[in-house]
Amino acid sequence: MATFDAVSNSDAAQSFAGRKKGVRPSDVLFHVVMTIYAMLFFLPLLWMAMSSFKTNGQIFQSPFALPTSWDWSVFATAWADGGIGQYAVNSFIVTAVSMVAILGLGSMAAFAFSRMKFRGSGLLLTLFTLGLLLPIQSYFIAQNSLFEYLHLKDTRWALIIPYTAMGLPLAIWLLKAYLDSLPKELFEAARIDGAGDLRIYWSVVLPLVRSGMATVAIFSALAAWNEFLLALLYIQNDELKTIPVGLLAFSTKYITDYHLLFAALTIVTIPMIVIYVLFHRRIAQGLTEGSLK
Amino acid sequence: MKPNRGWTPYLFVLPAFLVFAVAILLPVLATFGLSFTRWDGSGPLKFKGIANYTRALHDSVYISSYWHVLIYVVATIVLEVLLGLLLAGAVSARPGTTFYRVAFFIPVMLPLVVIAVLWSFVLNPDFGLLNAGLDAVGLGGWKRVWLGDPNTALLAISVISGWIFAGFYMAIFYAGFARIPKDIIESARLDGAGEWTIFRRMKVPLVRGITEIAVLLCVTGGIQVFDLVFVLTNGGPYNTTEVPTTYLVKTVFRDQDVGYGSALAVILTVVIALIGLLYSRLRRKTSDVEF
Repeated sequence: MATFDAVSNSDAAQSFAGRKKGVRPSDVLFHVVMTIYAMLFFLPLLWMAMSSFKTNGQIFQSPFALPTSWDWSVFATAWADGGIGQYAVNSFIVTAVSMVAILGLGSMAAFAFSRMKFRGSGLLLTLFTLGLLLPIQSYFIAQNSLFEYLHLKDTRWALIIPYTAMGLPLAIWLLKAYLDSLPKELFEAARIDGAGDLRIYWSVVLPLVRSGMATVAIFSALAAWNEFLLALLYIQNDELKTIPVGLLAFSTKYITDYHLLFAALTIVTIPMIVIYVLFHRRIAQGLTEGSLK
Repeated sequence: MKPNRGWTPYLFVLPAFLVFAVAILLPVLATFGLSFTRWDGSGPLKFKGIANYTRALHDSVYISSYWHVLIYVVATIVLEVLLGLLLAGAVSARPGTTFYRVAFFIPVMLPLVVIAVLWSFVLNPDFGLLNAGLDAVGLGGWKRVWLGDPNTALLAISVISGWIFAGFYMAIFYAGFARIPKDIIESARLDGAGEWTIFRRMKVPLVRGITEIAVLLCVTGGIQVFDLVFVLTNGGPYNTTEVPTTYLVKTVFRDQDVGYGSALAVILTVVIALIGLLYSRLRRKTSDVEF
């Protein structure tokens, strides 16, 4: 979470009041070095995007040259014939369902843990906290056998269920911390007004933990979108593969069709980078608005 | 709050707990149980006692996988945490660095597999960007089959890992630096302290707690490295990049040796848990002052 706060911090977060005006040589050097370092990130991506438009021969012989023609149909080929479109749809469904489930189930449990006293709450909370620490290796072997037994493998549930389970501990822990920090008068007032638990959950808890929910949503959506090991083991049916596994299948299938491979990589990465850049702004805005109130 | 409201709290917790118990808690226990058996995944189970564990202790590939992951972890502490700290120092020392922060963080967003496939192209011996680049600047003699050479494969994976995650640690440290009261830094600056001195003598010591967490994250995450290794080398060449996770997946899903694989998984879990415990003990002893 610190991560997303951090990148969205505006420069105003760090103070430079004592600086003299004007361009100093050290500033120039600084920006030159940082730009060269930033190139380490942009060059491979640029090379990847450019190679999508080249023939195999050009990719081998003139890796740094601009493409001679801009044939955009390669992206359509990768998307439709190569199946990247289907993989993206699958990733979207699995990610969306898991995220909604994590937010819904997580916030309900967090509400109970934070605002209700009940027998066994300490034990249950400890078990969920344990989930924050357990590495995937400690359960995926038996999980695989269990899903096989339940005939869940090669269905979307084989990914949605574990992704939801993996996201819940963080969601509960984080949202509980949010709820714990709220004044209890809020809940008492609602109760005096005659609101039941479900009503309080819906009209008090959910609106109040929205910023916490946003953090959980970002985190769990990215985790589900990028997850590889379980997707590799549980999904053999090409129609159901998510992007990471699908891209790997794609790269085996079109192993010598380099520009198609680069096109597939480009389709998968560039939209995410665009979303990230937009996203980064939105969070910065949300943070400043939040701190101004 | 009324102390007891009957079934309501359970109705709120139960859905989450059911999913969590079925998908994680039960499998954790079952994996532990399976580690004492011989099982091919479908046939009859045979109880084998601790045979799988003694076998693991004599499995030279498994033992060496821990050496590889140790090298990887040490390398990534430098290439991810230390580099991330330096980058955070750099971008927080001057105004107008939003662009760099956004750029360095890009790889963290992308699926590891996608990055691994991209890098397998960058390092490709035939058309890869790196070898072509070396040729272009007259260093053709340095060209290598980076991922196929036992001397460079593990190093290459570590460098790629640094390329991805240095930005992640930069973001963490940057957030830490932003929390340091501005007047402390400002007065040091007015006293004529240079940015490097401020970084070394003030910022780094003040984010010590964050550094400790970052190192722990890097170590426990590094031991579990899978996606990158699986796509780039899958343990090769000649097992020189075999790490515990890739070996474990091969044991279970290629060799159908579920019992032995479970034992390897339990050992890995215990190793990770022990490191976490030891580390938090050490932290409590050495750092009483939390910023």
